[in-house]
Amino acid sequence: MSTVAVTNLKHESATGNNIILDSSGNAAFADGSASTPSITNDGDLNTGIFFPGADRIGFAEGGAQCGEFDASGNFQFNSGYGSVATAYGCRAWVNFNGTGVVAIRASGNVSSITDNGTGDYTVNFTTAMPDANYSSAGQSQGIVLFQGTSSTTAYRVNTYTFAGTLTDYGTVNIAIFR
Amino acid sequence: MNSRIIYPNDEGGVSIIVPAPECGLTIEEIAAKDAPAGKPYKIVDVADIPTDRTFRNAWEYAE
Repeated sequence: MSTVAVTNLKHESATGNNIILDSSGNAAFADGSASTPSITNDGDLNTGIFFPGADRIGFAEGGAQCGEFDASGNFQFNSGYGSVATAYGCRAWVNFNGTGVVAIRASGNVSSITDNGTGDYTVNFTTAMPDANYSSAGQSQGIVLFQGTSSTTAYRVNTYTFAGTLTDYGTVNIAIFR
Repeated sequence: MNSRIIYPNDEGGVSIIVPAPECGLTIEEIAAKDAPAGKPYKIVDVADIPTDRTFRNAWEYAE
């Protein structure tokens, strides 16, 4: 295998370097734009990665920006929203059976649920939340209400009939957003 | 997982920790993390937990 040792790569018609190579083995690319991403594909030159500003990484397809990691580390994408905007993630979720043999069907970032009694459950997170100021969504065949106890590591809910009686349900879904 | 973790709760009943199958933790790790600090707990087989929950709030923790 042979090696070509150069410092920078520059197209003969370009005004500046296309790629700057340093002694640490890094390659630095020009900023590019959504219409002409600096890292792209031969044959599809308006799709790729570009750098819209300091500390930002942009993604383009078909010459339009479709996503970005902004300077604050937020991931932004369009995906039918109408513009590229920050997406707020579901940080934990669980689908469980609260009747008979209480069991978790599927989950993400949930280590366990605690069955505290009839219609009374605590969702325990595998990785703790950064604070307790998260938001939740819950569903069951009845009513799901916040029980009043939340922390960075757990969230407690109750399931009720529409008449207000604590009751177990066959399907309880909880999702945590932050 | 076919195991459960039980401990006496503050309401005088028993709480049952149900592990998430895909969480990547062992039952012992879940017990250490999710059982309240200072509470005694036991790891039991799921078959030892009653499935008739009619009187669920009357269940008690047996040493």
